[in-house]
Amino acid sequence: MRKHFRRLLALGTAVFTVFLPELVRAAGPAAEMLIVVADSRRVSAGWARYFVDSYNTNPLWFGLECTIITAFMGVTLGVITDQIMRHVGIDLTSRKIIEH
Amino acid sequence: MKKRLCLYYIGCVLTLLLLALPTMAAEVVQGKTVTNDLNTKLITVEEYDLKFTPQNKYGNPTGKTMVFDLSEALIGKEAVPGDIVRIAYKVVDGKNKVIRIMNVTRQDVMKK
Amino acid sequence: MLEWYTMYMPISGVDIFWPGLVLIGFSVGCIGGFFGMGGAWMVTPGLNILGFPMAFAIGTDIAHIAGKSMISTFRHAKFGNVDYKLGLIMIVGTVIGIEIGAQIVMWLERLGQVGPVVRWAYIVLLALICIMVFYDYYKADKKKKAGDVGERGAEGITWYKTLHRIKIPPMVHFKTAGFTCSAWLPIMVSFLTGILAGFLGIGGGLIRMPALVYLIGCPTHIAVGTDLFEVMISGLYGTFTYGAKGRIEIYAVFVMLLGAAIGAQIGTVATKYAKGYGIRIAFGLAVLACMVSIILKQYKIDLAATVLILGAVGAICVYICGIMFSGAAKELREKKASSH
Repeated sequence: MRKHFRRLLALGTAVFTVFLPELVRAAGPAAEMLIVVADSRRVSAGWARYFVDSYNTNPLWFGLECTIITAFMGVTLGVITDQIMRHVGIDLTSRKIIEH
Repeated sequence: MKKRLCLYYIGCVLTLLLLALPTMAAEVVQGKTVTNDLNTKLITVEEYDLKFTPQNKYGNPTGKTMVFDLSEALIGKEAVPGDIVRIAYKVVDGKNKVIRIMNVTRQDVMKK
Repeated sequence: MLEWYTMYMPISGVDIFWPGLVLIGFSVGCIGGFFGMGGAWMVTPGLNILGFPMAFAIGTDIAHIAGKSMISTFRHAKFGNVDYKLGLIMIVGTVIGIEIGAQIVMWLERLGQVGPVVRWAYIVLLALICIMVFYDYYKADKKKKAGDVGERGAEGITWYKTLHRIKIPPMVHFKTAGFTCSAWLPIMVSFLTGILAGFLGIGGGLIRMPALVYLIGCPTHIAVGTDLFEVMISGLYGTFTYGAKGRIEIYAVFVMLLGAAIGAQIGTVATKYAKGYGIRIAFGLAVLACMVSIILKQYKIDLAATVLILGAVGAICVYICGIMFSGAAKELREKKASSH
């Protein structure tokens, strides 16, 4: 009996966790979405135009782009700054890390 | 270290490939709503220009009106005549199909 | 509107004082590198104070966290101390939590309430950080005066022992971390921190770290690594979901990441030369200043808020840079002298 109860509890928790976002969405008074249109008339440069266009046309694609590009940029900057530090000649291996 | 750099270069190439994929371009127009028919889903907008001034922070009326089809659009706050809207659209078969429409007037009020 | 010091942000459509953006990015890197904690707590309020709508501030902050966590991940590359099983199980909770946090933000935005609600939430959070920092200092100071230098962890708190007794299946054994508990315990912990991270646009390490140690019973060094792993996941997922919701100003992310990458180097190098506990006070004061500036912003005293937050983080950056440059100059001089 207790075993069954535990299984049920596990299932209940799982369902609850998975569907909570839906619940949050459904809760509260329904208000209209805020849609933002990026003003591509005010950007001319290629890069900015690229992002603005994908923002306006395909939100999911824009999300994916943001993720990939920030990750990529993070790693690139990490590599570059590491090179610079090595070039300057400051020893980064013997530092102590302050943890919180 | 070598393995990591190798992985990194693969990442670079993939990212560049991703960026080289063509995105759809959309035209953007901003202006004042003249009529917004909820039944036919057509909105008429008087286009504004890009000369922003402290008095006319949304630009100045150009007198040119355009009709847009909202049937497949992502719509936020419904525009009433007089509202400034910003529209991203593309031209399909001679029709201005709206992708998304922003109600600038009403969203500016609740900003921040 | 086209003065040299403003930059047009094409997506959110606001003109931003860009040196402020660079300074915030740089400070986050610098302070984060120096104190070994995120520093993301100042980005969302900072961006909001500079003029971004709140939802954009949160999304941009989360994206910038993702980028920064990639820097540190790539550098350390050894998630050596990660319990991957624990990390993977926690991903479930983290991702769902972030999604809920983001949904709450979007819902509040529709109601036009996101600004005030998030600002007050931040005021509470920063007050807690402040208390923590000053209490920490007070304790260390007292210890020093009592002549007790010994390092002792907080072994006293053993809530996790009680929590490990809850046996809802599936029970999982975590080999690296060395304990067995119900999988729901880490899921729930990561779920709650995920909500907070998604809602406030932070990495969540501030809450996840202690939770891992005290509630789950993870050894501290494993908790550090696993937390780093989770921050990366939460940042990347947060970036995706906020991007898809259209609330990321990708240009601001670039500008800030650039500042952060340079700042982080200076900050981490400065830890090599820093001595004493006094710097903690400076940190606490910066948090306090940030809190006050959010209150100022809430009451629409925008200029004062901008000056205060930029001034505070700027001052602490100058301090850290000072430590770094004098220390580094000394080290390089000594190196030269010994090589001759």
